[in-house]
Amino acid sequence: MGLDLLVYGLGALASLLSVIAVYLALEERDLVKAVIYSAVQSVFYSLLFYLFMAPDIVLVYLPVAGGVLPALLLVLISKTERFERE
Amino acid sequence: MRTLVKLVVITSVVMGLSLLLVLAGVSFYPSSRVRWLALAYLNTTYNPYLPNFTVWSPESVTAIVWDYRGLDTLYETTVFFLAIISGLALGRGVKRLNLKPGGDMGLSLIVKTVTRITGPMILAVAASIGLHGHLTPGGGFQGGATAAVVPVLYIVIFSVFYLSWKGVSTGRMLTMRSIGLIGIGATSIAVFTAGLLEGAPAYVFQNIAKATSPVSMPYYIHGALTSGTLWWFNLFEFLAVSAGFALAFIILMTPEADKNG
Repeated sequence: MGLDLLVYGLGALASLLSVIAVYLALEERDLVKAVIYSAVQSVFYSLLFYLFMAPDIVLVYLPVAGGVLPALLLVLISKTERFERE
Repeated sequence: MRTLVKLVVITSVVMGLSLLLVLAGVSFYPSSRVRWLALAYLNTTYNPYLPNFTVWSPESVTAIVWDYRGLDTLYETTVFFLAIISGLALGRGVKRLNLKPGGDMGLSLIVKTVTRITGPMILAVAASIGLHGHLTPGGGFQGGATAAVVPVLYIVIFSVFYLSWKGVSTGRMLTMRSIGLIGIGATSIAVFTAGLLEGAPAYVFQNIAKATSPVSMPYYIHGALTSGTLWWFNLFEFLAVSAGFALAFIILMTPEADKNG
Protein backbone atom coordinates (compact mmCIF):
# COMPACT_ATOMS: atom_id res chain seq x y z
CA MET A 1 0.00 0.00 0.00
CA GLY A 2 2.74 2.45 0.98
CA LEU A 3 4.87 1.71 -2.09
CA ASP A 4 1.81 1.85 -4.35
CA LEU A 5 0.92 5.26 -2.96
CA LEU A 6 4.48 6.47 -3.64
CA VAL A 7 4.34 5.18 -7.24
CA TYR A 8 0.97 6.78 -7.97
CA GLY A 9 1.94 9.99 -6.17
CA LEU A 10 5.13 10.29 -8.22
CA GLY A 11 3.15 9.53 -11.36
CA ALA A 12 0.60 12.23 -10.58
CA LEU A 13 3.37 14.72 -9.80
CA ALA A 14 5.21 13.87 -13.05
CA SER A 15 2.06 14.29 -15.12
CA LEU A 16 1.27 17.66 -13.50
CA LEU A 17 4.83 18.89 -14.07
CA SER A 18 4.68 17.70 -17.68
CA VAL A 19 1.57 19.84 -18.22
CA ILE A 20 3.49 22.84 -16.88
CA ALA A 21 6.43 22.04 -19.19
CA VAL A 22 4.06 21.88 -22.17
CA TYR A 23 2.59 25.25 -21.18
CA LEU A 24 6.06 26.81 -20.96
CA ALA A 25 7.01 25.31 -24.34
CA LEU A 26 3.89 26.80 -25.93
CA GLU A 27 4.40 30.21 -24.33
CA GLU A 28 8.11 30.57 -25.07
CA ARG A 29 9.01 32.79 -28.03
CA ASP A 30 12.64 31.63 -28.09
CA LEU A 31 12.32 28.37 -30.03
CA VAL A 32 15.52 26.87 -28.62
CA LYS A 33 14.15 27.21 -25.09
CA ALA A 34 10.82 25.82 -26.29
CA VAL A 35 12.59 22.69 -27.58
CA ILE A 36 14.29 22.27 -24.20
CA TYR A 37 10.96 22.59 -22.37
CA SER A 38 9.50 20.01 -24.71
CA ALA A 39 12.40 17.66 -23.91
CA VAL A 40 11.73 18.22 -20.19
CA GLN A 41 8.12 17.18 -20.79
CA SER A 42 9.39 14.01 -22.53
CA VAL A 43 11.56 13.18 -19.53
CA PHE A 44 8.49 13.40 -17.26
CA TYR A 45 6.59 11.18 -19.68
CA SER A 46 9.34 8.56 -19.64
CA LEU A 47 9.28 8.66 -15.84
CA LEU A 48 5.53 7.99 -16.07
CA PHE A 49 6.07 5.07 -18.46
CA TYR A 50 8.68 3.66 -16.10
CA LEU A 51 6.44 4.00 -13.04
CA PHE A 52 3.54 2.34 -14.85
CA MET A 53 5.75 -0.64 -15.71
CA ALA A 54 6.34 -0.11 -19.44
CA PRO A 55 10.16 -0.35 -19.62
CA ASP A 56 10.07 -1.14 -23.35
CA ILE A 57 8.41 2.19 -24.06
CA VAL A 58 10.88 4.00 -21.77
CA LEU A 59 13.79 2.59 -23.74
CA VAL A 60 12.43 3.85 -27.03
CA TYR A 61 10.97 7.09 -25.68
CA LEU A 62 14.12 8.35 -23.97
CA PRO A 63 16.48 8.32 -26.98
CA VAL A 64 13.80 9.43 -29.46
CA ALA A 65 12.08 12.17 -27.46
CA GLY A 66 15.08 13.18 -25.36
CA GLY A 67 17.89 12.90 -27.91
CA VAL A 68 16.94 12.52 -31.55
CA LEU A 69 13.83 14.73 -31.76
CA PRO A 70 15.30 17.81 -29.97
CA ALA A 71 18.46 17.49 -32.06
CA LEU A 72 16.37 17.38 -35.25
CA LEU A 73 14.30 20.41 -34.15
CA LEU A 74 17.46 22.35 -33.23
CA VAL A 75 18.91 21.67 -36.70
CA LEU A 76 15.69 22.89 -38.30
CA ILE A 77 15.64 26.02 -36.08
CA SER A 78 19.24 26.77 -37.02
CA LYS A 79 18.14 26.80 -40.66
CA THR A 80 15.28 29.27 -40.03
CA GLU A 81 14.78 31.92 -37.34
CA ARG A 82 15.34 31.47 -33.65
CA PHE A 83 12.59 33.80 -32.40
CA GLU A 84 8.91 33.40 -33.08
CA ARG A 85 7.29 36.56 -34.47
CA GLU A 86 3.99 38.06 -33.38
CA MET B 1 -5.70 30.90 -28.99
CA ARG B 2 -2.95 31.63 -26.49
CA THR B 3 -5.43 32.70 -23.81
CA LEU B 4 -7.44 29.54 -24.44
CA VAL B 5 -4.34 27.37 -24.03
CA LYS B 6 -3.43 29.27 -20.88
CA LEU B 7 -6.94 28.75 -19.51
CA VAL B 8 -6.94 25.02 -20.31
CA VAL B 9 -3.51 24.50 -18.76
CA ILE B 10 -4.30 26.38 -15.56
CA THR B 11 -7.66 24.61 -15.21
CA SER B 12 -6.14 21.17 -15.72
CA VAL B 13 -3.34 21.86 -13.24
CA VAL B 14 -5.79 23.09 -10.59
CA MET B 15 -8.23 20.23 -11.20
CA GLY B 16 -5.43 17.68 -11.22
CA LEU B 17 -3.94 18.96 -7.99
CA SER B 18 -7.29 19.01 -6.22
CA LEU B 19 -8.09 15.53 -7.50
CA LEU B 20 -4.73 14.37 -6.20
CA LEU B 21 -5.31 15.91 -2.78
CA VAL B 22 -8.90 14.75 -2.36
CA LEU B 23 -9.56 11.50 -4.20
CA ALA B 24 -6.44 9.82 -5.59
CA GLY B 25 -4.97 7.06 -3.51
CA VAL B 26 -8.46 6.04 -2.44
CA SER B 27 -10.47 5.56 -5.60
CA PHE B 28 -8.04 5.47 -8.51
CA TYR B 29 -6.14 2.25 -7.93
CA PRO B 30 -6.26 0.10 -11.05
CA SER B 31 -7.56 -3.42 -10.62
CA SER B 32 -4.98 -6.00 -9.62
CA ARG B 33 -6.70 -8.69 -11.69
CA VAL B 34 -5.08 -9.60 -15.01
CA ARG B 35 -7.40 -9.57 -18.01
CA TRP B 36 -7.92 -12.85 -19.84
CA LEU B 37 -6.13 -11.69 -23.01
CA ALA B 38 -3.03 -10.71 -21.02
CA LEU B 39 -3.29 -14.01 -19.17
CA ALA B 40 -3.25 -15.92 -22.46
CA TYR B 41 -0.10 -14.10 -23.63
CA LEU B 42 1.67 -14.44 -20.28
CA ASN B 43 0.83 -18.14 -20.11
CA THR B 44 2.27 -18.96 -23.53
CA THR B 45 5.21 -16.57 -23.96
CA TYR B 46 7.71 -18.93 -22.28
CA ASN B 47 6.11 -22.24 -21.52
CA PRO B 48 8.01 -25.50 -22.25
CA TYR B 49 4.86 -27.48 -21.41
CA LEU B 50 2.99 -25.98 -24.38
CA PRO B 51 5.54 -26.49 -27.19
CA ASN B 52 2.97 -25.75 -29.92
CA PHE B 53 1.94 -22.40 -28.50
CA THR B 54 5.01 -20.94 -26.83
CA VAL B 55 7.46 -18.42 -28.32
CA TRP B 56 10.35 -19.40 -25.99
CA SER B 57 10.87 -15.78 -24.99
CA PRO B 58 10.56 -14.58 -21.38
CA GLU B 59 10.03 -11.03 -22.69
CA SER B 60 6.36 -11.03 -23.60
CA VAL B 61 6.46 -7.56 -25.21
CA THR B 62 9.06 -8.60 -27.79
CA ALA B 63 7.20 -11.88 -28.27
CA ILE B 64 4.00 -9.96 -29.06
CA VAL B 65 5.78 -7.39 -31.24
CA TRP B 66 7.71 -9.86 -33.42
CA ASP B 67 5.75 -13.09 -33.15
CA TYR B 68 2.07 -12.84 -32.16
CA ARG B 69 1.64 -9.50 -33.99
CA GLY B 70 4.69 -9.79 -36.27
CA LEU B 71 3.01 -8.54 -39.44
CA ASP B 72 2.02 -5.28 -37.71
CA THR B 73 5.66 -4.64 -36.86
CA LEU B 74 6.73 -5.47 -40.42
CA TYR B 75 4.40 -2.76 -41.73
CA GLU B 76 5.65 -0.38 -39.04
CA THR B 77 9.18 -0.98 -40.31
CA THR B 78 7.93 -0.28 -43.83
CA VAL B 79 6.56 3.08 -42.67
CA PHE B 80 9.92 3.95 -41.11
CA PHE B 81 11.67 2.89 -44.32
CA LEU B 82 9.41 5.16 -46.42
CA ALA B 83 9.86 8.08 -44.00
CA ILE B 84 13.64 7.91 -44.29
CA ILE B 85 13.48 7.46 -48.07
CA SER B 86 11.21 10.51 -48.48
CA GLY B 87 13.52 12.51 -46.20
CA LEU B 88 16.46 11.58 -48.41
CA ALA B 89 14.46 12.39 -51.55
CA LEU B 90 13.96 15.94 -50.24
CA GLY B 91 17.71 16.47 -50.06
CA ARG B 92 18.65 14.93 -53.40
CA GLY B 93 20.51 16.95 -56.00
CA VAL B 94 21.92 19.31 -53.35
CA LYS B 95 25.68 19.70 -53.51
CA ARG B 96 27.20 19.25 -50.09
CA LEU B 97 30.54 20.32 -48.71
CA ASN B 98 33.23 17.74 -48.10
CA LEU B 99 36.08 19.16 -46.06
CA LYS B 100 38.98 17.60 -44.19
CA PRO B 101 38.21 17.68 -40.46
CA GLY B 102 40.56 20.00 -38.59
CA GLY B 103 41.38 20.34 -34.91
CA ASP B 104 39.62 23.69 -34.64
CA MET B 105 36.23 22.28 -35.65
CA GLY B 106 33.58 21.44 -33.06
CA LEU B 107 33.65 21.94 -29.31
CA SER B 108 36.54 22.01 -26.83
CA LEU B 109 39.08 19.26 -26.20
CA ILE B 110 37.47 18.31 -22.86
CA VAL B 111 34.09 17.65 -24.49
CA LYS B 112 35.74 15.73 -27.32
CA THR B 113 37.68 13.48 -24.92
CA VAL B 114 34.57 12.75 -22.86
CA THR B 115 32.65 11.91 -26.04
CA ARG B 116 35.44 9.58 -27.18
CA ILE B 117 34.88 7.63 -23.94
CA THR B 118 31.08 7.76 -23.76
CA GLY B 119 30.42 7.13 -27.47
CA PRO B 120 31.51 3.46 -27.43
CA MET B 121 29.73 3.02 -24.08
CA ILE B 122 26.43 4.22 -25.57
CA LEU B 123 26.97 1.83 -28.49
CA ALA B 124 27.58 -1.05 -26.08
CA VAL B 125 24.42 -0.26 -24.13
CA ALA B 126 22.48 0.03 -27.40
CA ALA B 127 23.76 -3.35 -28.59
CA SER B 128 22.82 -4.96 -25.28
CA ILE B 129 19.33 -3.41 -25.42
CA GLY B 130 18.90 -4.60 -28.99
CA LEU B 131 20.42 -8.07 -28.84
CA HIS B 132 18.96 -9.00 -25.44
CA GLY B 133 15.55 -7.81 -26.57
CA HIS B 134 14.08 -11.31 -26.35
CA LEU B 135 15.25 -11.71 -22.71
CA THR B 136 14.97 -8.27 -21.10
CA PRO B 137 12.95 -5.12 -21.90
CA GLY B 138 14.10 -3.59 -25.15
CA GLY B 139 14.43 -4.74 -28.72
CA GLY B 140 15.68 -3.78 -32.14
CA PHE B 141 13.97 -0.42 -32.41
CA GLN B 142 14.90 0.64 -28.88
CA GLY B 143 18.53 -0.37 -29.34
CA GLY B 144 18.71 1.24 -32.77
CA ALA B 145 17.28 4.53 -31.50
CA THR B 146 19.82 4.51 -28.66
CA ALA B 147 22.67 3.82 -31.07
CA ALA B 148 21.46 6.69 -33.28
CA VAL B 149 22.28 9.14 -30.49
CA VAL B 150 26.00 8.47 -31.03
CA PRO B 151 26.28 9.93 -34.58
CA VAL B 152 24.24 12.94 -33.45
CA LEU B 153 26.68 13.52 -30.58
CA TYR B 154 29.69 13.12 -32.85
CA ILE B 155 28.25 15.50 -35.45
CA VAL B 156 27.59 18.19 -32.84
CA ILE B 157 30.81 17.75 -30.86
CA PHE B 158 33.31 16.97 -33.62
CA SER B 159 31.82 17.77 -37.01
CA VAL B 160 29.95 15.98 -39.75
CA PHE B 161 33.18 15.72 -41.74
CA TYR B 162 34.84 13.85 -38.87
CA LEU B 163 32.26 11.06 -39.25
CA SER B 164 32.82 10.62 -42.98
CA TRP B 165 36.57 10.81 -42.40
CA LYS B 166 36.19 7.96 -39.89
CA GLY B 167 34.30 5.92 -42.48
CA VAL B 168 30.71 6.58 -41.39
CA SER B 169 29.60 7.77 -44.82
CA THR B 170 26.11 8.00 -46.28
CA GLY B 171 26.85 5.19 -48.70
CA ARG B 172 27.88 2.80 -45.94
CA MET B 173 24.91 3.75 -43.78
CA LEU B 174 22.59 3.14 -46.74
CA THR B 175 24.20 -0.27 -47.27
CA MET B 176 23.86 -1.18 -43.58
CA ARG B 177 20.23 -0.11 -43.59
CA SER B 178 19.51 -2.15 -46.72
CA ILE B 179 21.20 -5.19 -45.14
CA GLY B 180 18.90 -4.74 -42.13
CA LEU B 181 15.76 -4.49 -44.24
CA ILE B 182 16.70 -7.44 -46.46
CA GLY B 183 17.45 -9.42 -43.29
CA ILE B 184 14.01 -8.63 -41.86
CA GLY B 185 12.41 -9.79 -45.10
CA ALA B 186 14.52 -12.95 -45.22
CA THR B 187 13.79 -13.82 -41.57
CA SER B 188 10.06 -13.42 -42.08
CA ILE B 189 10.05 -16.07 -44.82
CA ALA B 190 12.89 -18.25 -43.45
CA VAL B 191 10.66 -20.89 -41.85
CA PHE B 192 8.31 -20.80 -44.85
CA THR B 193 11.23 -21.49 -47.19
CA ALA B 194 12.48 -24.32 -44.95
CA GLY B 195 8.98 -25.78 -45.09
CA LEU B 196 8.97 -25.59 -48.89
CA LEU B 197 12.34 -27.35 -49.07
CA GLU B 198 11.30 -30.09 -46.65
CA GLY B 199 7.85 -30.49 -48.15
CA ALA B 200 6.18 -29.73 -44.82
CA PRO B 201 3.44 -27.12 -44.39
CA ALA B 202 4.78 -23.84 -42.97
CA TYR B 203 3.61 -20.25 -42.84
CA VAL B 204 5.07 -16.84 -43.57
CA PHE B 205 6.12 -15.19 -40.28
CA GLN B 206 6.14 -18.54 -38.51
CA ASN B 207 8.54 -18.92 -35.62
CA ILE B 208 8.03 -22.06 -33.52
CA ALA B 209 6.39 -25.26 -34.74
CA LYS B 210 2.59 -25.25 -34.60
CA ALA B 211 0.10 -28.09 -34.42
CA THR B 212 -0.38 -28.01 -38.21
CA SER B 213 3.24 -27.35 -39.11
CA PRO B 214 6.27 -29.19 -37.69
CA VAL B 215 8.91 -26.74 -38.99
CA SER B 216 10.53 -24.53 -36.38
CA MET B 217 13.28 -21.93 -36.11
CA PRO B 218 16.03 -23.13 -33.72
CA TYR B 219 15.31 -21.45 -30.40
CA TYR B 220 18.41 -22.65 -28.55
CA ILE B 221 21.76 -22.14 -30.28
CA HIS B 222 24.68 -23.68 -28.35
CA GLY B 223 22.65 -23.54 -25.16
CA ALA B 224 21.89 -19.84 -25.58
CA LEU B 225 18.21 -18.92 -25.82
CA THR B 226 17.56 -17.05 -29.08
CA SER B 227 13.76 -17.49 -29.20
CA GLY B 228 13.72 -18.51 -32.85
CA THR B 229 13.18 -15.58 -35.20
CA LEU B 230 13.03 -12.95 -32.44
CA TRP B 231 16.81 -12.56 -32.06
CA TRP B 232 17.28 -12.24 -35.83
CA PHE B 233 14.47 -9.72 -36.16
CA ASN B 234 15.98 -7.68 -33.33
CA LEU B 235 19.45 -7.79 -34.91
CA PHE B 236 18.26 -6.66 -38.35
CA GLU B 237 15.86 -4.06 -36.96
CA PHE B 238 18.76 -2.70 -34.88
CA LEU B 239 20.88 -2.34 -38.03
CA ALA B 240 18.06 -0.78 -40.07
CA VAL B 241 16.96 1.73 -37.41
CA SER B 242 20.41 2.88 -36.27
CA ALA B 243 21.71 3.25 -39.83
CA GLY B 244 18.49 4.94 -40.97
CA PHE B 245 18.63 7.57 -38.23
CA ALA B 246 22.37 8.12 -38.74
CA LEU B 247 21.82 8.55 -42.48
CA ALA B 248 19.07 11.13 -41.97
CA PHE B 249 21.20 13.13 -39.54
CA ILE B 250 24.33 13.07 -41.69
CA ILE B 251 22.31 14.33 -44.68
CA LEU B 252 20.53 17.00 -42.63
CA MET B 253 23.61 18.33 -40.89
CA THR B 254 26.07 18.47 -43.79
CA PRO B 255 26.32 22.10 -44.89
CA GLU B 256 25.34 22.83 -48.46
CA ALA B 257 27.95 24.02 -50.93
CA ASP B 258 27.55 27.34 -52.73
CA LYS B 259 25.71 27.22 -56.03
CA ASN B 260 28.85 28.28 -57.87
CA GLY B 261 31.13 25.70 -56.39
